[in-house]
Amino acid sequence: MKDQALVQVALYAALVAALGLIPPVPFVTGIPITAQTLGVMLAGVMLGPWRGCLSMLLFVAVVALGAPLLSGGRGGLGVFVSPTAGFIIGFPAAALVSGVVARLLQRQSILIAAGVGAFIGGILVLYVFGIVGFKWVTGNDWLRSVQVMAVYVPGDSLKVVLTALVAQAVYKGLPGAVATRQA
Amino acid sequence: MTFTIELNQVHLKRDDQTVLSDLTLTLSERRIGLIGDNGSGKSSLVRLLNGLLQPSQGTLRVRGHNPADGPEVMSDQVGFIFQNPDHQLIFPTVIEELMFGLRNQGLSKSDARDRAEGCLREHHRLDWAERPVHSLSEGQKQWVCIMAVLVMNPAVLILDEPFSALDLPTRQFLTRWLLGLPQQLIMISHDLDVLSAFDRVLWLEQGRIRGDGAPDAVIADYRSACSGDFTL
Amino acid sequence: MMTLYVHRQSWLHRRSAGLKLLLLMATSITLYALTSLWAAGLALIVVLLAYRSLGPAGWSYLWVVKALIPMFVLIFALQAWSQSVSVATLMLLRMLTLIWLANLVTLTTRMDAMMDAVMPLLAPLRRVGIAPHRIAFTVALFVRFVPVLMAVLNSLLEAWKSRGGGRAVWRLAIPMLINAIRMSDHVAQALAARGGVRSPDTPVSMVHSQ
Repeated sequence: MKDQALVQVALYAALVAALGLIPPVPFVTGIPITAQTLGVMLAGVMLGPWRGCLSMLLFVAVVALGAPLLSGGRGGLGVFVSPTAGFIIGFPAAALVSGVVARLLQRQSILIAAGVGAFIGGILVLYVFGIVGFKWVTGNDWLRSVQVMAVYVPGDSLKVVLTALVAQAVYKGLPGAVATRQA
Repeated sequence: MTFTIELNQVHLKRDDQTVLSDLTLTLSERRIGLIGDNGSGKSSLVRLLNGLLQPSQGTLRVRGHNPADGPEVMSDQVGFIFQNPDHQLIFPTVIEELMFGLRNQGLSKSDARDRAEGCLREHHRLDWAERPVHSLSEGQKQWVCIMAVLVMNPAVLILDEPFSALDLPTRQFLTRWLLGLPQQLIMISHDLDVLSAFDRVLWLEQGRIRGDGAPDAVIADYRSACSGDFTL
Repeated sequence: MMTLYVHRQSWLHRRSAGLKLLLLMATSITLYALTSLWAAGLALIVVLLAYRSLGPAGWSYLWVVKALIPMFVLIFALQAWSQSVSVATLMLLRMLTLIWLANLVTLTTRMDAMMDAVMPLLAPLRRVGIAPHRIAFTVALFVRFVPVLMAVLNSLLEAWKSRGGGRAVWRLAIPMLINAIRMSDHVAQALAARGGVRSPDTPVSMVHSQ
């Protein structure tokens, strides 16, 4: 991998960390919506599958090593045995799939490519991880796990829309920065 | 092997726009200032000297080396300081930052640490070694940037508006310190006072040399040209 | 540096990172095999005592689960209602024990020691062209840029508020991202100007021998 790719990988990981600073909006059931998954979807759409995935791997690994970079200052190994562990562990896969889908749709408008990519990667894939993790940690059955995790869906859908809008706005200003749209 | 920088009929185009046209220069003075409006080609010119940009036409030599060999080779010859230290400081702590270039030059970890600590000690800042870079002031950060390059012992130091975010005392301190260095200095600056102690000043306009000579004369010409009609 | 590590000397600090990680893994597997409430309760008490052994303030680190409390309540209620209170209690005990134990490892292990412990696991990546020193470089770069981007976001938030603010804070994601992209271009350039990321084992003369 080229040096520039290393820099991009590090910077998008740092972007996700910085987005953790945006105060989480408390949602019903007391589960906050954070801006961080927005960064995950953007990493996939902007950097492409491979770099996006590596960038999120980096983020997750450094959180595991003890950096308090998840929103609300959470971090360390405890995160990976908590009920929401799957959502964190799924970051790299979510970015990867977002990138793959956005690249497949590069003939569509960026709004659609980024939106569908973010939806499939950041919601479908991420929720598979989230639900499996929840089931594994809490020992609930599938149905119950799906029900509990469903409270996150409205907030995350909002982030899908945001990803599409942000990607579109950035593409206008810096077309070269969207790696999933180079022929 | 010549100890000068030579440009021969250098042209540079970027995206079909002419950035530099027909520059032929011999730069052998110890301290050279580069002035001109934004977009005049100053930054592009200095980026040619360490291979970050390649000329579209013409040849250049920096101390006998061809910058076309790429910045990896030129980094041993030319130290480059950017405007914003946050874009340049790569490592979380000062000592790691100073060690990076030395490791690139092939030094072992312990030798690199010794040299880096030696450099900090020389500037009476050994206590900075383990400091997190983000806890330093802007001026301190820029100083670390320069030290991180100097520790690699380049022959030429290029500075692209290094002081634009710094307050007056910090500028004066760093300028005094820079002028005492043995390296050849090439500095872009909008702060014309800083350049008055230099040996030569080049004034660039639309990719061409408009003024060249002793600082006082060139700066005076530039000032009077700027006081004419100007509109945004 | 930004870390949850607590700088102190304790018997736990002196244990090697690899040992602590292995023990954590072993405990997590054992804990899920436990079905006795008493055994699970005992495990929790052992972990609580380990926190106490860190010093008088040891128990204050237990607050790490604060953000999870609403979720715990929800899960407990659901379990108790759908199965039984004892099943719900067992599950809660397991979760708390494991989270606190994992957090204990984080509190008492330096980040670089942790990294050294996991680095051998990354060695196989060399085969797909990712050398360990490049990973270490990228980690350092990441750690360096977190405070920089946080400062960027802060100044964007201030500018946003000073111009009246409003609810659409998400719009800041656009300048934030553009800033990050520009910055990555600058950083890549600055990196190239200093010779790029070379392998510490490869002398410069060998890289450019043509």
